[in-house]
Amino acid sequence: MSVDHKQVARRYLWSGLGFLLLGGLLALLIRWQWAWPGQPVPGLAWALPESRGALTPPTYTSVFTMHGLVMIFFAVTPLLFGALGHFVLPLAIGARGLAFPRLSTLGFWVYALGGALVLVSFGVRLGPANAGWTAYPPLSTTAFTPGLGQTLVTVAVLCAGVSAFTYGLNFVVTVARCRAPGMTWGRLPLTVWGLFFASVLNVLFVPVLAAATVLLLMDRLLGTQFFIAGAAAVGGGGDPVVYQHLFWLFGHPEVYILILPAWGMVGDMVSFFSRKPAHGYRLTAGAMGVVSALSGLVYAHHLFTSGMSPMLGRTFMVLTLLISLPAEVMFLNWLMTLWRGSVRLTSPMLAALSTVVVFGLGGITGLALGAVATDVPLHGTLWVVGHFHLTMGAASFLGVFAGLYFWFPKMFGRQLHEGLAKAHVVSSAVLFLGVFGGQLAAGYAGQLRRLYDPYQYTYLKHLLPLNQWTTACAFLLGAAQGLFVVNLVWTLWRGRVADANPWQVGTLEWTCAASPPSDENFERIPVVLRGPHALSQPEVLEQLGRDWVGQAEALPAEAPAISGPQPLLERTS
Amino acid sequence: MSTPVEGSTPVSTGAQTPSGLKTLALPENASTHGPRIDALLGWSHRIEAGLAAIALGWMLIAVWRFRGAKRAASDGGTKRSIAFVLGLALSTFLIVDGTLLVGSEGYLRDVLWNLQVPAEDPRTVRIEINAHQWSWEARYAGEDGRFNTPDDVVTWNDLRVPAGVPVWVQLVSTDVVHGFSLPHFRVKVDAIPGRVNQTWFQAAREGTWEVACYQHCGTSHYRMRGELRALSSEAYAAWLREAGRQALQAYDADDVAAHWGWDWRTP
Repeated sequence: MSVDHKQVARRYLWSGLGFLLLGGLLALLIRWQWAWPGQPVPGLAWALPESRGALTPPTYTSVFTMHGLVMIFFAVTPLLFGALGHFVLPLAIGARGLAFPRLSTLGFWVYALGGALVLVSFGVRLGPANAGWTAYPPLSTTAFTPGLGQTLVTVAVLCAGVSAFTYGLNFVVTVARCRAPGMTWGRLPLTVWGLFFASVLNVLFVPVLAAATVLLLMDRLLGTQFFIAGAAAVGGGGDPVVYQHLFWLFGHPEVYILILPAWGMVGDMVSFFSRKPAHGYRLTAGAMGVVSALSGLVYAHHLFTSGMSPMLGRTFMVLTLLISLPAEVMFLNWLMTLWRGSVRLTSPMLAALSTVVVFGLGGITGLALGAVATDVPLHGTLWVVGHFHLTMGAASFLGVFAGLYFWFPKMFGRQLHEGLAKAHVVSSAVLFLGVFGGQLAAGYAGQLRRLYDPYQYTYLKHLLPLNQWTTACAFLLGAAQGLFVVNLVWTLWRGRVADANPWQVGTLEWTCAASPPSDENFERIPVVLRGPHALSQPEVLEQLGRDWVGQAEALPAEAPAISGPQPLLERTS
Repeated sequence: MSTPVEGSTPVSTGAQTPSGLKTLALPENASTHGPRIDALLGWSHRIEAGLAAIALGWMLIAVWRFRGAKRAASDGGTKRSIAFVLGLALSTFLIVDGTLLVGSEGYLRDVLWNLQVPAEDPRTVRIEINAHQWSWEARYAGEDGRFNTPDDVVTWNDLRVPAGVPVWVQLVSTDVVHGFSLPHFRVKVDAIPGRVNQTWFQAAREGTWEVACYQHCGTSHYRMRGELRALSSEAYAAWLREAGRQALQAYDADDVAAHWGWDWRTP
C-alpha cells in the first residue's frame, strides 16, 4: 500500500467527492420536503416503500442529520485537507513528502472506516442517526434515540476526528520541520499558511470533539450519565449543557478549520491571477493567525439562548465581534491585491472570486448573530442556516473547486476544459446565492430550522412560495454539478496533456516538480530564493522577458549565489 | 380551559397581505420590547447591505477596470496602502460592530437579562413551563399565588397572559433540550433538563400568537406548537379564577406526575 502523500490525496479526493454527492442528494431531499411537504419524491419509492417515496418525519430527521454530518466530516474537510492539503502542502514547501507518511495513510483508512460506518448506518434497523448533526444529549442518548444507527454514526464521527487529528499533526510538523532550504516562514504560499493554521486548530480542538463523542458513546453504551440530567427515563446526575460547551468548543473552530485553507488559496490565487504580489502578505498571514487564535474564544455565541450567565454572554459577544476585525483586514487585502493588477479570469480565479463573494456575504450576515440582542430573534432560524452555509458550505465548496481547478493539471497531468470549468464555477456561485439567500430571507421572516413541515405554524404559511423558489435554485445547483462531472470524466479519459506551468506562477510545485510529480516529488530539493508571489517585478521582466519567476529560480544577476547543483548539506552548513 | 375566550382573535398569520415584501419582513411584532430589538435588527441589516454593496462593488470595479491590464503593480503594498487597509478595517469595525455592541448591550441591560423589572412589578404574571416531547405544559400559581398547590392551573400548548403586564417565565424540560420561542415577541430561551431557565416579556396588545420549539427535539419536533393568548386584564383574571376553581375540583393528590412545579426562584 502506497504511503505517498499524492496517492493518499487522490484517495481522499474520490471518497470526498462521493460523500459530497451523497450529502448533496440529502440536501435536495430536505429542499423537496420544504417545497412540497409530504409529497412523494419521484424515484424514491424503492427506498421508502411504505410511504411510496414520501419523506416521513423520522426519515426527514435522519436526512437532515446525515446531511450535516456527511458534509462536514466526510465531504468538505476531507476534500480541503485530505485531498488538496495532502497533495499540495509537501510540494509547496519543497518537501519529499509528509513528516509521517505512514500516519497519513493510517489517517485515511480510519476516515474510510468512519465513512463505511456512515454508509452501513443507512441499512440498520431504526435507520441512521437522527439527533441532528450536533447530537445534543439527552436526545442523542439511548433513552430517546435507541437505534444502532446513532451509535454507528457517533463512532464514525470519532473516526473522522481521529483522521483529522492525524493529518493536522502531520501538517503542522511537516510545515515546521520539512521546508526546503530557503523556504522561510515569510516565503510560504498563503495556501500553506491557511492549511498550517487550520491544522493547528485541528490539533487543538478535534480532541475536544473526541472527548464529547467518547463521553456520549459511554452514555449510550455503558450506562454512564455524563450528559443526562433529570431525564424522565433515567434520572441521572449529569448535565446536557456540558456537552454543548464541549461540542461548540470544537464546533466553532471547525468553521475556521473549514475556511482557513480556502482563505489561503484565495489569497494566493487573487495574487497569481492579478499578476502582482499579494497586498500585505504578512498582514494577511497574521490576520489568519489572529482569527485562529480567537476562534476558540468565541464558541459560546452558540449558547446565547441556553440560559448561560449574562457575564459569559457579554464576554463572548465582545470576542465574537472582535474576530471580524482580522477577517476584514484579510478581505481588504484581497481587494487591494486586485487593484492595479492585471486580472485574468481563469477558472481558479473565478472560483476564488466567487469564494470572496459568498464568504463576504456569509461573514456579513453573521454580524447580527454575534451580538446577543440581535441573535435571540434569529437564533435557530434559517437565517443561521443561510449564514453558515454561505461561509462553510458555499465558500468552502468554491474554495475546494478553486484548488481543484488550479492543481488538477499537477495532480493528473491533464488540463480540465476551461469553458466547462468556468460555467460550473459561475453557475454554482450564482445558485448558491439563490439557495442560501432564500434561506436568509425565510429565516428573517421567522422560519425555524429542521422543521419537517414548517407550515404547521400559521405565521410561516406565507413562506411556501419562497421555499419553492429556493428549492428550484437548489435543484438547478445540483444539476450544475453535472458540468464538473462531465469535465472530470472527459478530461481523465481524453483530456489535453497539461503544460508544465499552465498558470505561469512561481511556486515550487509548478516550477520544480513534474506533472504529475514523481514519487520523490523533486528530482533535487529546491533551494528557495524568494516568496511565492514574485510577479511583475521590473527586473524579472527585463531579464527573463516574462512576468513571473520561480521561487527557486535564480535570476541571471543572482547566479553566483547558487552555482550548480551542490549537495544540500554543504550549502546550508 | 378550552372554552373560547371572549375577544380572542384568530392566530396572526401575516398571510392576509399577499405582497412579496411580506416574505422578507420579520414576524409581526406583538411585544412592548419588540420595536427596540427590531430597530436594532433593521440597523444591523441596513449596515450589512451597505457593506455588502460596497465590497461587491469594489471587487467588480477592480475586475472590470484591471482585467487584462497591460501592467501590474510590482509591490505587495506600500506603507501608505497598508495603513489605508488597517485604517479602513478598524473604522469599519468600530462603526459596524460598535453599533451592534452598544445597541445589544443597552437592550440586554434594560430588558433581556434584567429580571429586576418583573420582580419589582406587582402586576407581574408568573408562569412555570415544563417542555415535553412534544408539547408545552404551563403552570399558573392560582389564587394562592404559590406553585405546586391544589389550585394550580395547568394548561397544554395554551399560554394565556394579560396584555400590558410583565410575564415572567421559568422553564425546564422533562426529557430532551427544547427551545421555547415566541417569534412575535422576539423571545427565545432553551428548556434544559436539570436546570431552570428564565425570561420575561410583555404583550403590547390583545391577540393570539404562536409558541414554537426551535431546538430539534425528536421526530415530532415540527408539531411542538403552542398558542399564546394575550387577554385583557379582566378576561385573564376571570379565566384564571374559573380555571383555578376547576383545577381544585379535579385535584388528585395521588397523581404524582402532575406535581412537577417548583417554588418560584427569585434572582
